[in-house]
Amino acid sequence: MALEEHAKTPPAVWKPTSAGELREAERLRPVEVIPGKALYRRILPGVIQAPADYILGLSRKSSVWPLTFGLACCAIEMMSSYMSHHDLDRFGIIPWASPRQADVMIISGTVTKKMAPAIKTLYEQMPNPKWVLAMGACATNGGPYTRYDRVVQGVDKIIPVDVYVPGCPPRPEALIEGLIALQNKIMADRKAIG
Amino acid sequence: MSDIDEEKEDKLAGSAPTNGDVFKMLQEDHEAPVSPGTVADTFKEVLPDVTFASAQGALDVILMIAREDVPRVLRAAKDDPRLDFKYLRCLSGVDHMERGLEIVYQLYSYTHKHSVTLKVRLPQEDPHIASVTSIWRGADWHEREAAEMFGIVFEGHPNLVPLLLPDDMTDHHPLRKDNPLAQIEEWQGVRLGEDVVNVGHIPAGYEELAAKSAGDGEEGKE
Amino acid sequence: MAKRGKNRLMVVEEERDLETIDINVNVGPQHPATHGVFRMVLTVSGEKVVDVVPHIGYMHRGAEKLSENADYRQALIFQDRTDYLAQFNCEMCYVMALEKLAGIEVPERAEYIRVILSELNRLTSHYMFAGAFGTDLGVYGTVYTYAFREREFIQEVFEEITGDRMMYGYFRPGGVVWDVPDNFKERVRAVCEKTRIGINDIERLVTGNEIFVARSRDIGVISGEDAIDYGLSGPMLRASGVPVDLRREEPYSIYDRFDFDIPVGERGDSYDRYLVRMEEMRQSLRIIEQALEQMPEGPILPEKLPRRLRLPPGEVYMRTENPRGEYGIYLVSKGGEKPYRLKIRSSCFCNLMALKKMTVGHYVADAVTILGSVDIVLGEVDR
Repeated sequence: MALEEHAKTPPAVWKPTSAGELREAERLRPVEVIPGKALYRRILPGVIQAPADYILGLSRKSSVWPLTFGLACCAIEMMSSYMSHHDLDRFGIIPWASPRQADVMIISGTVTKKMAPAIKTLYEQMPNPKWVLAMGACATNGGPYTRYDRVVQGVDKIIPVDVYVPGCPPRPEALIEGLIALQNKIMADRKAIG
Repeated sequence: MSDIDEEKEDKLAGSAPTNGDVFKMLQEDHEAPVSPGTVADTFKEVLPDVTFASAQGALDVILMIAREDVPRVLRAAKDDPRLDFKYLRCLSGVDHMERGLEIVYQLYSYTHKHSVTLKVRLPQEDPHIASVTSIWRGADWHEREAAEMFGIVFEGHPNLVPLLLPDDMTDHHPLRKDNPLAQIEEWQGVRLGEDVVNVGHIPAGYEELAAKSAGDGEEGKE
Repeated sequence: MAKRGKNRLMVVEEERDLETIDINVNVGPQHPATHGVFRMVLTVSGEKVVDVVPHIGYMHRGAEKLSENADYRQALIFQDRTDYLAQFNCEMCYVMALEKLAGIEVPERAEYIRVILSELNRLTSHYMFAGAFGTDLGVYGTVYTYAFREREFIQEVFEEITGDRMMYGYFRPGGVVWDVPDNFKERVRAVCEKTRIGINDIERLVTGNEIFVARSRDIGVISGEDAIDYGLSGPMLRASGVPVDLRREEPYSIYDRFDFDIPVGERGDSYDRYLVRMEEMRQSLRIIEQALEQMPEGPILPEKLPRRLRLPPGEVYMRTENPRGEYGIYLVSKGGEKPYRLKIRSSCFCNLMALKKMTVGHYVADAVTILGSVDIVLGEVDR
């Protein structure tokens, strides 16, 4: 239909009715975000907080270890940015395979409804403090595949996202800019992180 | 919906296609007749009692057979030394709405270097067909995918479970034409019971519409 | 039961009737060794694999359904993203399917540009394979870094021509969308020189390496007849001894004008698949050189091309030789501007069906090697 009529009609709302759909809707429920609380804040709040925050923020932003989680085409550009032409190691960013020791999860690629529970599990397995970077159009809002009903329209439906990097796929320079923005965010939010 | 020839629709609407109709359909879809000396003649020579409707496609010869002949014809296509189609390239389903569902086999022979396209038309209410997994082991996943995308049942398949779709959401078949894509664009705000589960990001300008459609329950398709 | 070793003193054990259970090991969707979101459940008895059940569909994005709702220009972008490492080859297949149905003639210069770009894309794809395969076998990162360095050189050429590093969208039914820049031939020749050095680098590092050979020789053997029965194609079929290449069997475009060899393996194991792909890269370089010499000047699109393409009713199954095997597009058109059914016959989907046959009987570590040698791209498997 023409673009104007299309813009005026409200999008249909997905109402799960059958048993299969209800199970799927349960699996698409967003994660519960549990904020952490650091020990030095709990013991003597306010005493050595500002310099401790500063040092911890500086160290956290200088050594952001992403979980190697390449889903689709964006993963290739992510790998390109790890490699020698657009080196990410100079920022302290090393890919790490285990979620238990990773800091940031770079969702690079389309999230399907079949994959959504695995992403939620991985997010819950990462210890605090953790961040999420949605790379590419598919992770932001579904991308070119947004109209298919097996695709989750953006990963922020299920996990909270900190930085969005647009592009299909974004250039390695764009991903580096996103990661630097994440570093600035870590530093700026240092008082709030547990 | 894509453009369809209206006349052809009216001719055959509302009836399960018989063999005669089916062969007429092939002749209507492809006007070019097959020139002699091609693989169609070899098929008729090998299986003289099976009716083939033949046409010349853009690259291969297209043959249409009836559903009951499928095990025999395909077994002969692989085993007979004059045909020797040891390579099943592709097995796809096509949804022709009231004219039925169609299974298309693409075969190739490395020894004789000829290729053929075999088609079978199934009525929409009764999409059963014999599986060819016992003939070519490479038909396994193709049939599973056609089963979940179109709802076709392959009898004799060892493991007909969904392949690409998640196990829960097998309520409907995505590639059928009665799931038109235009209505799928949904705002994935899910209501479970009374609570809104995930709202995500509401796009700019859609706030009133979102509140309205979430409120009075617009029935959306999946 | 006593076991004896050659010239070695071995402990002789008696096997009692131990009760053992076969456990299921889930090589889950997120795993550093699976190439994307692929899940396989291995049933192991001790360390030997008894059963493999692959689970796919985690990247099923509905390219076929979305193509039915897009017109022929828009459906091209889905082809790029299906096999996101061999984009030009996939676009080529789609665009040639449209040309066969519509009866459009492609000008000579456009044909040559298409062939050169497809073969350069084959090079990048096989580089990626070499890097990933090495990583699977334990050369953690070294071959990957070399491979990506070489890929970047070729990707720079693609960016100069098409404007994008990965998803090009450069081919059109009838030719290509705009002409190549003036220094095209010099740039491609320079890149070919660098590629020769790059292939030699990787081969010196990896091919004769004792550990590499020990880990991939006689692993994942599949015979020629089984390969044809399972519908394998591409380097997997050629490594099993079947000398078939679609560019020779059913020549499409202008491949019959070039002189190149088809590397064929002997045993059908993972090492042969690796060697076949390395040799294919050298043959691609031969094709590129011949094409550069023969390339004429001229138009790149036919003159009378309608702005909105309408195809007559009909169907076609167009197949090309992708780096991973035979890529096919089965296109059914009922007139109009949108395809009625666009089925993508993807090479990795069919290659992956033979995984169980190849893996059963090997160790768990070999399962990773075999998966690496199949060289899957999940966008193509799940579409």
